Amino acid sequence: MKRRDFLKLSALTGGAVLLGNAPNFRALAQGGTPASGGTLVWGHSETTQNIDIHQTGTASTLRMLQNVHDSIVVPDSNFTIQPGLAEAFEVSSDLLTYTFFLRPDVRFHNGKLLTAADVKYSFERVKDPATGATNFEVFNDVEEILALDDHTVQIKMSRVYSPFLARLSENGSGAIIPEGSGETTGTQPIGAGPFQFIEREFGNEVRLKRWDEYWQGPAYLEEIISREVTEPTVRLTGLRTGEMHLINDIPLDRVDELKADSNLQVHTWAPLSWAFLNFNHQIEPFNDPRVRLAFDYMIDKEVLVQGALWGQGEVTASPSFPTSPSRNNDLQVRPQDFNEARSLLAAAGVNPSDLEFTFKTTTNYPWHVEATQIMQEWFRMAGLRVNVEALTWSDWLSQCWINRDYTVTMMNFFTLWEPDFLYYSLWHTTGAFNYRNISDPVLDDWLQQARETADQSVRMELYHQIKQRIYDEAHDVVLWFRNGTLAAQKNVGGLDHIVNPNGSNLNFWRVSLG
Amino acid sequence: MTYLFKRLSLLLLTLLLISVVTFVLTKILPGDVAIMILGTRSHPETLTALRQELGLNDPLVVQYGRWIGDLLQGDWGTSLRFKEPIAKLLGQKILASGVIVVLSLLIALSLAIPLGVVGAVRQNRWQDTVSSSTALLGISLPDFFWGMVLILLFSRWLGLLPSSGFVSPLENLWLSIKHALLPAIALGLSLMAHLTRMTRSAMLEVLSQDYIRVSRSKGLGERMVVYKHALRNAIAPVITVAGLQLGYLFGSIIVVESLFNYTGVGWLTYQALLNRDIPLIQATVFVIATVFMLSNLVVDLVYKVLDPRISFE
Repeated sequence: MKRRDFLKLSALTGGAVLLGNAPNFRALAQGGTPASGGTLVWGHSETTQNIDIHQTGTASTLRMLQNVHDSIVVPDSNFTIQPGLAEAFEVSSDLLTYTFFLRPDVRFHNGKLLTAADVKYSFERVKDPATGATNFEVFNDVEEILALDDHTVQIKMSRVYSPFLARLSENGSGAIIPEGSGETTGTQPIGAGPFQFIEREFGNEVRLKRWDEYWQGPAYLEEIISREVTEPTVRLTGLRTGEMHLINDIPLDRVDELKADSNLQVHTWAPLSWAFLNFNHQIEPFNDPRVRLAFDYMIDKEVLVQGALWGQGEVTASPSFPTSPSRNNDLQVRPQDFNEARSLLAAAGVNPSDLEFTFKTTTNYPWHVEATQIMQEWFRMAGLRVNVEALTWSDWLSQCWINRDYTVTMMNFFTLWEPDFLYYSLWHTTGAFNYRNISDPVLDDWLQQARETADQSVRMELYHQIKQRIYDEAHDVVLWFRNGTLAAQKNVGGLDHIVNPNGSNLNFWRVSLG
Repeated sequence: MTYLFKRLSLLLLTLLLISVVTFVLTKILPGDVAIMILGTRSHPETLTALRQELGLNDPLVVQYGRWIGDLLQGDWGTSLRFKEPIAKLLGQKILASGVIVVLSLLIALSLAIPLGVVGAVRQNRWQDTVSSSTALLGISLPDFFWGMVLILLFSRWLGLLPSSGFVSPLENLWLSIKHALLPAIALGLSLMAHLTRMTRSAMLEVLSQDYIRVSRSKGLGERMVVYKHALRNAIAPVITVAGLQLGYLFGSIIVVESLFNYTGVGWLTYQALLNRDIPLIQATVFVIATVFMLSNLVVDLVYKVLDPRISFE
């Protein structure tokens, strides 16, 4: 069956779930046509690492690569999956067959047209454990990847994996590279995105050039020079001297000052990331939900947002993104209540003065250290004895994440909006990110169910239930959503369209220089 | 010649020892590059697979042997974390550091020698006070302070020079110097201070010697006495210190590099250490040690040219 026939047919029958053909011109709502041309200098907050889109797991690298590569499907702002390089896709009602109908007019930066062979190649590359793709587990249940014709790819699953499409839309797992380019994609990536990769001088800068044949229409900017400036004050200076047009990640205590500067524009959004307080569930008395709840009642999250984030964030009881249908909006942030905390500890048979522990935090996130110190005071006020240990990133990763050698710690996560990725990874007994030794059979059961549920509304309802359970048991204490921030010169246009729904990636396709 | 041969073989032996020590020390540190690559995205499964792929599960001796074997064939390998060929990284960063180190040495020497000479010749007069105060200022305030002052003055207020970044001299020499100037001055100021003090005291010592009195009494002009006879003999220790600083600066300019986001060898070493990227750590330490030792060697050879009385045999 030809693609167009299929479109007609499915429009008539309406049997299959079909989403498609809605062009992705997000920016057209704005009045006036922005000027075309110019080189934008972006002061990027981090050093890009391995630039192989499939291998890299680093938010900073994906932030840059988002402009070079396009994905087979993409999330919209409500995290509904929309067509990307596939102009339409069909999911069978048993969720075991996914069919992607590719746009016929997509050209890679090497001039070649996108075909089913490229998609098959890219998917197989991510699936192959030898590639070392960070998201290889997305393809765990994929049995077969078939190129039905030049522009149709079909995936057969061995069992239902409900988050499949959403996972394809995020973190590079659905990024399509030309067939056979795997060897060179880590040094000279070729994609189908709005900008071509020119070169990287490691730790110094990355240069990108407009791809005039971009399938959604060429970008406004002629070139982007992404200067990698990890020191926040150096970025600020660069912006103030006019050497940089745009910088991301403003130091939290400087946001208000920049907002007051009439020569600059500041753009903030929520959330960039979320943070939570963790207990090692294998250590007594933290295996008792009453004790964990008591900690929840010792923390004034509002004060924490002010004190550690300089007000650049919001309190939240759930880590689900605000626009995600998986978010349980009924949950309320627990207030600070030392009496409640004391009675919970008493009910658990814990004498506060007998409870002494070390709170491990990492200097990789300076605001974690500040938050830890504030919380330490509250814990002391409740009568506990708390020591703080500030660890370097590699120490934190090996002690807390890998060896689980800690009692209390805290961490934050970027881009975890897909509910299965979020909840299964973090709260399932076998979850890949379960560094807290959590083992809750009720949760395990629901998480598995949600993973295998085809009906999205039923599935989302399950996640509400899951989050309720995490909240009731206080498996962890969610602390905040942190804002993303960027600042730019006044002549930079299109900032409304620069932030990807995941809150972390920046897409310069609709950005212009006036 | 035998001297040079001896020195060079000693250099190689030292490098070999350094590489063994660095390797073992890095292995003792907690964490490994696989954890750093995957960060909070690591699954136990991916971690094991990645360690296997990177050869981190092999015995220490095997890992070291592989590294040194490749190096002997001229292959520096690939950075585990950044997936860039190390030879390319080294080339870029040595060039970057080289530009500011050489520039700061030039700035330091061209200021320090006249200041030191004037301070000695005009001892205890106002010229000496100026010379000593300048040196004191350079010594008392750290390079990052000067860096910030320079950025404020030349970038923010005057808008004359860029506040950060590196441009290759091979690409655009003028732009490269413009970018390197502020970090080079920041770095050169404290060096200048040391060298001024050295020049002054060395000059004072030489000027009090008999042959200077002889030169003066046989009617030589003061300029000739100071610059030809005195300075030539006083300069040797100054050159030694300057030469030693070259090696030192190369690896230790990380503060100035961060301040100006000027990513050179110091920065690369720091990144390598932070990420437990063993082949990269090995390579950067190797380079810094080599520069250090070679500059020592060069200083010794220059010594001989400056002072023919010195013999190496």
